[in-house]
Amino acid sequence: MQSALFHTTLYISLALCVLGLLWRSSAWFRVRVGPDVRAVTLSQRVGALLRGAASALFSVRVFHILGALFLDVLLLRRLFAKEKLRWLGHLLILAGFTLLLLMHAFEAVVTVKLFPGYESTLAPYLFLRNLFGAMVIVGIALWFFGRWRRRTGLASVRRPMAAAFVALLGFVLVTGYLLEAQKIASPQAFYRMAKRFSGTTDPGELMPLRALWASEFGVAFDDLTEPMTPDVMAKGRQMHDDDCASCHAKPASAFVSYPVSRLLAPLTGFLDKARADIWLLYLHVFACFLGLATLPFTRFFHAVAVPASLLVNASAPNQAFSAAGRASKRALALDACLRCGICDAHCSVAPLARHLGNPYLLPAHKLVATGALANGHLLRSGHENEGFRVAEGAFLCTDCGRCTNDCPAGLDLEDLWQAGRGDLAAAGLPAPAQWVQALPALAWAEALEAAHGQHTASDPDASCAPLSADRRSFSRCVQCQTCTNVCPVVAQSIAAEHRVDLTPQKVMNLLRLGLRDLTLGSRMVWDCATCYQCQENCPEGVRVTDIMCELRALAVHRLGSVRSGRAPS
Amino acid sequence: MKYALFLGCKIPSKLPAYELSTRAVLVRLGVTLVDLEFNCCGYPARNVSRDAFVVAAARNLAIAERAGLDVLTPCTCCFGTLRHAIRFLEEDPELRSRVSQALAAEGLAWSGKTEVEHILPVLARTIGVDALSAAVRAPRAGLHVAAQYGCHALRPSNLTRFDNPLAPTIFETLIRLTGATPVDWPRQLDCCGDPLHEANAPLSEHIARAKIADALESGAEAMCTACPHCHLRFDSVQAGAPDPSIRTLLYTQLLGLAMGLDEKSLGL
Repeated sequence: MQSALFHTTLYISLALCVLGLLWRSSAWFRVRVGPDVRAVTLSQRVGALLRGAASALFSVRVFHILGALFLDVLLLRRLFAKEKLRWLGHLLILAGFTLLLLMHAFEAVVTVKLFPGYESTLAPYLFLRNLFGAMVIVGIALWFFGRWRRRTGLASVRRPMAAAFVALLGFVLVTGYLLEAQKIASPQAFYRMAKRFSGTTDPGELMPLRALWASEFGVAFDDLTEPMTPDVMAKGRQMHDDDCASCHAKPASAFVSYPVSRLLAPLTGFLDKARADIWLLYLHVFACFLGLATLPFTRFFHAVAVPASLLVNASAPNQAFSAAGRASKRALALDACLRCGICDAHCSVAPLARHLGNPYLLPAHKLVATGALANGHLLRSGHENEGFRVAEGAFLCTDCGRCTNDCPAGLDLEDLWQAGRGDLAAAGLPAPAQWVQALPALAWAEALEAAHGQHTASDPDASCAPLSADRRSFSRCVQCQTCTNVCPVVAQSIAAEHRVDLTPQKVMNLLRLGLRDLTLGSRMVWDCATCYQCQENCPEGVRVTDIMCELRALAVHRLGSVRSGRAPS
Repeated sequence: MKYALFLGCKIPSKLPAYELSTRAVLVRLGVTLVDLEFNCCGYPARNVSRDAFVVAAARNLAIAERAGLDVLTPCTCCFGTLRHAIRFLEEDPELRSRVSQALAAEGLAWSGKTEVEHILPVLARTIGVDALSAAVRAPRAGLHVAAQYGCHALRPSNLTRFDNPLAPTIFETLIRLTGATPVDWPRQLDCCGDPLHEANAPLSEHIARAKIADALESGAEAMCTACPHCHLRFDSVQAGAPDPSIRTLLYTQLLGLAMGLDEKSLGL
């Protein structure tokens, strides 16, 4: 390969990689998630990082950081605790890739210095290179198998760049193996080396060596007709020992490339003519450079972001982070999430996500949406429904903490969800209890009427609000006010000046009058504490609280459709 | 005695002491607790979609049913929600068929075999007051506590079958056997205010404070709870407040102390 071309491409790729890394990591100081960090400035964030690093490195905390570096970053302890198979897959990729990088890609600066007799075609390097490559391939396969086995039946987060990156990695490995296989079998390569080290390319003169190399080194000569007598072989071995043995071990230990070279043997002549050794080398090297240049923009960036996140987490307990520190930690979390989907698989509201058909209840999706909101991509015009769905997901999260517990990257997701809900509320997408109560009940009823033409207690609601749709469940109400008298919300709201607009008994009366829409946005319905005093004490056995709960669900459904501009159902 | 332990969402993340003390006490009393991977009880979805709420609840019941176990929960809200789901499934055949279809997609089924129990009746009736009294080694004599029943345990009583909803005694009985003294307090059966937290935070706080003031006036040193929502509500309204404070003590912690378990194993 031409040295100038090689070096130019290398340095361009390296420069792109460095610039990309700077740009991506600058987001950790730019992106703001959560109302509590909105006022934090760039200099405060840089200051918090420097102070945090200094106080962590010059205290006993440094042992936490070292522990995290060894156990969490290198040995992937958190993944081991959750999914052994994916852990094994990931560890194989990590170890195989790193070792290939050090021994093979950096051979001139690392391996040669450490092992003075190093030649890429000697044992054990032939074997090791194949082994490391095979580790990566087996690792990728295990990773995908683990993912497939734990599939949740839920849509997984789209990650086109991840597929592109794995494809590129696979391409580098495949071209590497093919190149090695072709070089093993290539007569052309044999003659090139023979010329250099034996000073001849004459087939007749080289016959004994060719015989030996054909039988023991796998070179696929198509013109080798003379019998391989012991004499010829012995002479060949002599020539081999003189000129080749110091750099060449038998290639059978290249346990992937060698069998491949046997398979390709019939095509070797053709591939030699087509100069396959040259273009396979170009493909292999340029694919590596492409990987390097695009590294910051593929999922491979996690190799930077995840260790950074793990080390930042280890540097201080969660509650010790200042607002500036929290801001950076959240922005870092957005990048460090791999979308591995382990959180989604164990999410305690996953059945709700499945039933409501809303993936934004699931952590990995929610994280993407949180990032999109912080970066201003979520609330584009024409995508309003997306925002409503994201908010529905965010406010149905129960903060059970499983995702934080399960995250192999150790992200503090609970903190991120809380911050994200703050951002949603500030963007006009608060919890249902908030957006419904932003308008009085009458205004909602009028909006429904305008959208719908008439008040209705119609049948489509029978499945989602069967009690309030069935007169029999409230027609026994005799307006005795027992429900109102035992209601703690009514009692306390009078004392505390948080007056409710209706009382439970009036809500029942509106239902009796067929004016259900008037109740949907009422404070009484939304301020109901679901303490079941009314239902317990009703002398007529009306299930007042159950009806209140239904009315809220119905309100989310019907008022939600008015709010989002869809026709109410 | 063997149950599937249903912790719900709040206990593991926000009140781990309740999990610790529940396990410590029940294991000492010879109860086997089995951990299954449950999901949210469904409560938060009640305000959004009845079907989604019942599907989530029924999935939990089906998981316990597959393991052949009844469910024991220390969370009053989860208890009420799961019992409600059972009622809705029993009274609405169309809902049942929709839910069955959703569960079948995961190879699960609900047939109603699994019972849902709250920890207090299991302690008082299944294990029994006599067995509990016999386990008490270090009575907490002189401690005055206010029993906070929690709404979704008491009501609706035809569903929860917990105790007399107007004059319950089960919690007082359980407190007395630890040697502590339950106080009479007028607001005992009121809501703690927690479910209102999102809809109306000031009102929620007001309700909780009224209860705390009432318990203090009635001579209680601690609020004894058996629900993470009530417990955390009382803790959070008192956090950083200048008001007179009341300790919050989980019943499982009180019982554990009386049984002579060490404080650390009870999360104290």
